[in-house]
Amino acid sequence: MRLVADFFYVPLPGRGVWCIWQRNFLYFRYSLWVSVLWVIVEPILYLLAIGYGLGTLVGEVQGLPYVEFFIPALMVISAMLVVFFESTYSTYTKLTRQKTFDTVLLTPVGPDEIALGEMLWAASKGLLSAVGVALVGWSQGLIDPQMILPALGVVALMCWVFAAIGLIFTSLAKNYDWFLYAQTIFIMPMYLFAGTYFPLEVLPPLVRDLALALPLTHAVMAVRSILGGDFQATILVNVAVLFGMAVLATNFAVSRFRRKLIG
Amino acid sequence: MTPPNQRLILKSMEVVVEARSIEKKYGNKAVVDKIDLRIPQGQCFGLLGPNGAGKTSLLKMIYGVSQMTSGELFVLGLNVRTHLKIIKSRIGVVPQEDGLDQDFTVMDNLLVYARYAGLKRKSAHLKALDLLRMMQLEDYEARSVEILSGGMKRRLAIARALLNQPELLILDEPTTGLDPQARQWIWHSLDQLKRAGRSLVLTTHYMEEAETLCDRLVIMDKGKILCEGHPRDLIQEHVGREVLEFEVAPEDLNYYLKKVKDQYRYQVINSRVNLFISETQDGREAARIINSPNLRLRRAALNDVFLKLSGHELRDQ
Repeated sequence: MRLVADFFYVPLPGRGVWCIWQRNFLYFRYSLWVSVLWVIVEPILYLLAIGYGLGTLVGEVQGLPYVEFFIPALMVISAMLVVFFESTYSTYTKLTRQKTFDTVLLTPVGPDEIALGEMLWAASKGLLSAVGVALVGWSQGLIDPQMILPALGVVALMCWVFAAIGLIFTSLAKNYDWFLYAQTIFIMPMYLFAGTYFPLEVLPPLVRDLALALPLTHAVMAVRSILGGDFQATILVNVAVLFGMAVLATNFAVSRFRRKLIG
Repeated sequence: MTPPNQRLILKSMEVVVEARSIEKKYGNKAVVDKIDLRIPQGQCFGLLGPNGAGKTSLLKMIYGVSQMTSGELFVLGLNVRTHLKIIKSRIGVVPQEDGLDQDFTVMDNLLVYARYAGLKRKSAHLKALDLLRMMQLEDYEARSVEILSGGMKRRLAIARALLNQPELLILDEPTTGLDPQARQWIWHSLDQLKRAGRSLVLTTHYMEEAETLCDRLVIMDKGKILCEGHPRDLIQEHVGREVLEFEVAPEDLNYYLKKVKDQYRYQVINSRVNLFISETQDGREAARIINSPNLRLRRAALNDVFLKLSGHELRDQ
């Protein structure tokens, strides 16, 4: 079964991964202000509208002012959205319209390196967005600066998971509409129900169990614990789940994407 | 495990590409149908044929972006199945669509590519400047590739393919879509590259281009090789020195053919007859025998070889 074999494909990394990252970074520099605006300013607007605006109506959640409850989720959500957009729409555009990778394949850089490079780039951009939120949170006294690095570690791992998942959608997509489906059935439910805007405990038990199968849930749980200074064993479980998902999704994504590149 | 054909590496030094019965199938359709091919070093070698002949498919297997269904293929003495990365570091490719990064400037296109190729940044920059001068693009260094004309884009794609100083340069339809001036310019620069000792492989469906540039060529159709040789030899062998063309009404066809068919080889294409005049025959003599009002005597060309060997129906794709 090819489907099963895809999960056990071992990607072949190389220096080309870094070349692909640098290619994307160069483009990022070309369009720096648009990128920064999107990656950093948008989360700030969310923080103002939801955290402070809506938050004043909500009051306290789990013994915290709503904005403090919400900010770990905001870090994770913005990272997820940026990563997913990058590894779907952007990568798909390079794959199909711009045929960027056709040119790369003329060189010694191989298909696995292209796949991994795209993922690394998407994950980096997502992480940058989380850094933006963390800095804003710190400046507002909502986040303990000592906890930022460990929290970003978890976010980085989660970014990798979503980069891989995005790449899987990209290698399955027949056109841009596919990503709308992916958003509607996969990203949006997570965005809303993964313990982001309200705690998981509010959900009916069955839905709560389902939510535990989602990568975002584990990222939100871990980041919220870390930023709250509440180091529990559950963090290790969250990280282990994310790590397992990262490995499987990476194998699958690279295996699929390479087939798309070299038919 | 050493593949049995590893031994070939030693004896194929003077050959840049060696293909043995290579095949590419999509489903049940073979677009490259068990082809054998040896491309000698230091020459310009052409792959000719109509759209859909399998030229590009064959080329893509040679530069390693398309996998063979079966067969053995060695490029620069190395097996494409096992040494693809090394092969790619030693060849240069100009693909049909140029493959330039529209997001970037002319210089960045070269630098990004040089990085993929593994060149050091500093030497890449010097090399890129050199190549931009050679391709007369130095004034456009900092401009976006979007503003370049078709001919300039092709020149940039050639410059890019030369960054790693390839032993073998592969070009897929290098002048398709260019105006006559740009075409001449590219012919000239390819000729210079050949004189500098590079091996070139190109595809084209312009017979004139092949006659001008190629030392040796194959004509392909429907995934197979129809013939191989020096352009002039092929014309000599399959057509002759001259072609006498004339138009006839269908009902008169037999009348005219009866006059000449014992002495001359010919091909009928719709209402036109091509009479092939060999080295020892006289075209004007044939014209006198035919004695039709609309005759044209011209030099035989590669086009005639192609039409003769492939049949003459129009191809859509």
